[in-house]
Amino acid sequence: MTTIPVPPSQPVTPELARDNYLTYTRGIWSWLFTLDHKRIGVMYLCGVLSMFFVGGIFALLVRTQLLTPEGAVFNDNANYNRAFTLHGAIMVFLVIIPSVPAALGNFVLPIMLGAKDVAFPRLNLFSFWLWMAGAVFFILVLVNVDGGLDTGWTFYTPYSTTDGMAFGGVLWAVIGVFILGFSSIFTGMNFIVTIHRLRPPGMTWFRMPLFLWALYATALIQVLATPVLGITVALLFMERLFGMGFFNPALGGDPVLYQHFFWFYSHPAVYIMILPAMGIISELISVHSHKHIFGYRFIAFSSIAIAVFGFLVWGHHMFTSGQSQLINVIFSAITFSVSIPSAIKVFNWLATLYRGSISLNTPMLYALGFIVIFAIGGLTGLHLGTLATDIHLHDTYFVVAHFHYVMMGSALIAMIGGMHHWWPKMTGRMYNENWGRFGFALVFIGFNVTFFTQFALGSQGMPRRYATYNGMVLTDLYHLYHVISTIGSYILALGFFVTAGYLLHSIFAGKRAPDNPWGGRSLEWQCTSPPPHDNFKEAPTVGDCYDYSVLEWDESQQGYKWREDIERPGNPHVSGKDGHA
Amino acid sequence: MITLVADIIQAEALGTLGATLAGGATYWMPEQASEVAPKIDWLFEFINVICYIFFGAILILTVGFSIAYRRRKRVHQDKSATHHTALEVTWTIVPLLIVIVMFYMGMTGYMYLDTVPENAYEVRVNGQVWSWTFQHPNGAVEGNQVTLPMDRPVQFIMTSSDVLHAVFIPAFRVKNDVVPGRYRTLWFTATKPGEYQLMCAEYCGKGHSDMLARVFVLPEEEFQIEIARLAQEYMDLPTEALGYYAADKLYPRCASCHTVNGDPGTGPSFKGLWERTQAGEQKFTNGATLSQLQKQGDGFYDPAMGGVQNYLRESILYPQKLINEGYGPVMPSFKGQLKERQVDALIMMIRELETYFEPDGSFKPQPENTTPAEGAAGTEEATTPKQDGGSPEA
Repeated sequence: MTTIPVPPSQPVTPELARDNYLTYTRGIWSWLFTLDHKRIGVMYLCGVLSMFFVGGIFALLVRTQLLTPEGAVFNDNANYNRAFTLHGAIMVFLVIIPSVPAALGNFVLPIMLGAKDVAFPRLNLFSFWLWMAGAVFFILVLVNVDGGLDTGWTFYTPYSTTDGMAFGGVLWAVIGVFILGFSSIFTGMNFIVTIHRLRPPGMTWFRMPLFLWALYATALIQVLATPVLGITVALLFMERLFGMGFFNPALGGDPVLYQHFFWFYSHPAVYIMILPAMGIISELISVHSHKHIFGYRFIAFSSIAIAVFGFLVWGHHMFTSGQSQLINVIFSAITFSVSIPSAIKVFNWLATLYRGSISLNTPMLYALGFIVIFAIGGLTGLHLGTLATDIHLHDTYFVVAHFHYVMMGSALIAMIGGMHHWWPKMTGRMYNENWGRFGFALVFIGFNVTFFTQFALGSQGMPRRYATYNGMVLTDLYHLYHVISTIGSYILALGFFVTAGYLLHSIFAGKRAPDNPWGGRSLEWQCTSPPPHDNFKEAPTVGDCYDYSVLEWDESQQGYKWREDIERPGNPHVSGKDGHA
Repeated sequence: MITLVADIIQAEALGTLGATLAGGATYWMPEQASEVAPKIDWLFEFINVICYIFFGAILILTVGFSIAYRRRKRVHQDKSATHHTALEVTWTIVPLLIVIVMFYMGMTGYMYLDTVPENAYEVRVNGQVWSWTFQHPNGAVEGNQVTLPMDRPVQFIMTSSDVLHAVFIPAFRVKNDVVPGRYRTLWFTATKPGEYQLMCAEYCGKGHSDMLARVFVLPEEEFQIEIARLAQEYMDLPTEALGYYAADKLYPRCASCHTVNGDPGTGPSFKGLWERTQAGEQKFTNGATLSQLQKQGDGFYDPAMGGVQNYLRESILYPQKLINEGYGPVMPSFKGQLKERQVDALIMMIRELETYFEPDGSFKPQPENTTPAEGAAGTEEATTPKQDGGSPEA
């Protein structure tokens, strides 16, 4: 047990001591120009959730269209194409990629680490502004500037770069993607430097909570892979606007080259989504079962292993695209190697649950739901990694179901679980637990009804991105599955509305949150809820962040406190290195 | 959860049942109609079984632990191990061995799928927005449908005139992207006569979901007769039947962009197109109007000198030359994919649209009592052109 000294940057006046980061200063400008990682995290969260709402509306439009084989919503297939493209592009670039690292990560990382802020607070604010700037371009596309965007979120060439094929909105969208890429790169850089340089004494690498390991692995991918996306969309932009032939065979280019470039980023991007989600689950499972995480080092290293292998598997998106046989075989082999560290994590979580004290509250339900959904998402990856079966399943709804199980059912469910976990810390309020469980039940059931159906829909041959499916040999069968799937999506949407409702209610009328409502042992639970501007009024104690035996329930504050029969180590007044860079 | 379990139970129940059901269709997989399909399905089911075992174990442990170790007292002091190297190494090695087996089977299956046998029957496939053209070695050309022999390897040699497409035939379990600027191949051996779905599986824009085709598989002898007939069918038709032939066999490839009932589409509707062309109403993106062009030059577009036919023929074979205002330059050229007589047939069809289509746009078959053409080579066949179409039920 060691003390980390984190003195406040200015003398603590009684006035400030009562204040928290939410009330530290007031006014809209104090938010927009804040350097406080917590406020930036909260702003990201608001932005991401707003965009999640927009992307969700498009998802419902897409699902409703598919209620009938002829299409129930859009007369013009081009409008359906716009809808699924915006759904995908918004959810990937504006929601899932920034959701955990930028929103939750920004809020939690420095506090968990025991630092007062990230290494470069101004760069952090700049990242957020870039995110907003990128969002503006997507909103332009949303209102159909230059005809809007109908390329799919993958912007495949030569469709996207041919005048008269894809609408001109693709130019605006790729500018947005380019800007968002820099937002992501800066956030990643910030996190890497923060974890390397701002770990307080006592916080060794192997004392870091696993969420931080996951964010670290994620940041590595963000920094190394995202520039490739930026270059790729820049080339696409130049081909479309100036007719420079990079990808279009009519101009002497190679369309498969684009796919290599695109997936060189976009496959690692899948791990930008899922790695931090896994990190959240490691925290949630351990904290809510009050049990030391099982196999800490295996989990930590599996995060790094996934990040490294994740760079080497992009070709499995291209098994039917025109790669050589040898390359397909190699990519298939490496793809299987990624499944191992993922499996290890699942087994470790299960072993953590074993003989724990499992509290079935809302965050934990999301974590348990994550294990089940991620198991399905991961296992169906086997069908797709296996070359012979992938040929049949490629570009069908089987793939759609698989990646929704991973990106939405796993990454986003983990994000929502994490949001519930840190909600008391962020807002200082408790939400209604029963409504929380009800919301989870709707989300879990709705999700599985929506997407499990799509596995069979796809293996029966229904291709993705189809606006209509009339006049096919199996139209009746597809119709049945599409109807079930759409009903599921309505249940899912209802679940999210319930969730939004009780969370908003909690901000205004929720019970005051104790400092440590769940009995967490990592450092963020040692500061007040909400945390003060400088995170820690007194130096937190760095110990084993998964040892719960030192905590006990305190009825008076409805939270956990340090056990009175165990001496709390550490001296709150030791001074040390300043937290800021 | 209940749906999930029900789905899986149903899957397995149907899976076993399915083997005896029509063509091996199961809950998961469509009918098996190629020689490779049972192999792919076996591998799929093998992976399924492994998935069920692992998922079952994960589900039972997650739910079981959540119930058995639910929180009873406020704080639970746990003393169980925080790591166990032997256990952790075991659950690393065992999945690793399983996926190595899976990889190997997937690889061998794929190498088989991707290695075209010699002496395969070669069909040249062209994908363009948003229709398919299939060319047989004997010169027969089919659009949005292809007639193939049974029990003989068939190779598709595919390319695209514009953007990416993909040929996907679920019943054969084969798929490959169709890429502009290069040839791609696909092969299979169909094992059952019948009609199967071919679809475009790579997103290609507005008409992506209309880019469908039918695959007709015939036993060898019937196939030989049919393919010989297809090579000649439009040559043998009497002139009166040509319009019906175009409306029935050729128009489906135009239908993803051009309507015949006046509804808007990606391209101008065929309804009234003949009259508009005669009057020179078209305005083009280069600023010219057809009526101006009709008065210029050597009278190529002059209606009095066959200019309507010239315009329509040029629009089919060289569509990028004049683009109608309000439309994008998206029409692919059909040069080389339509024979001259087929172009004539289309022009005849456009000229008297009402003869060949119902007001709602559906095909109006040629009346049965039409007398056979006098001069044409056609005999019985020529009188019932609507019924040929490679009907596999025959």
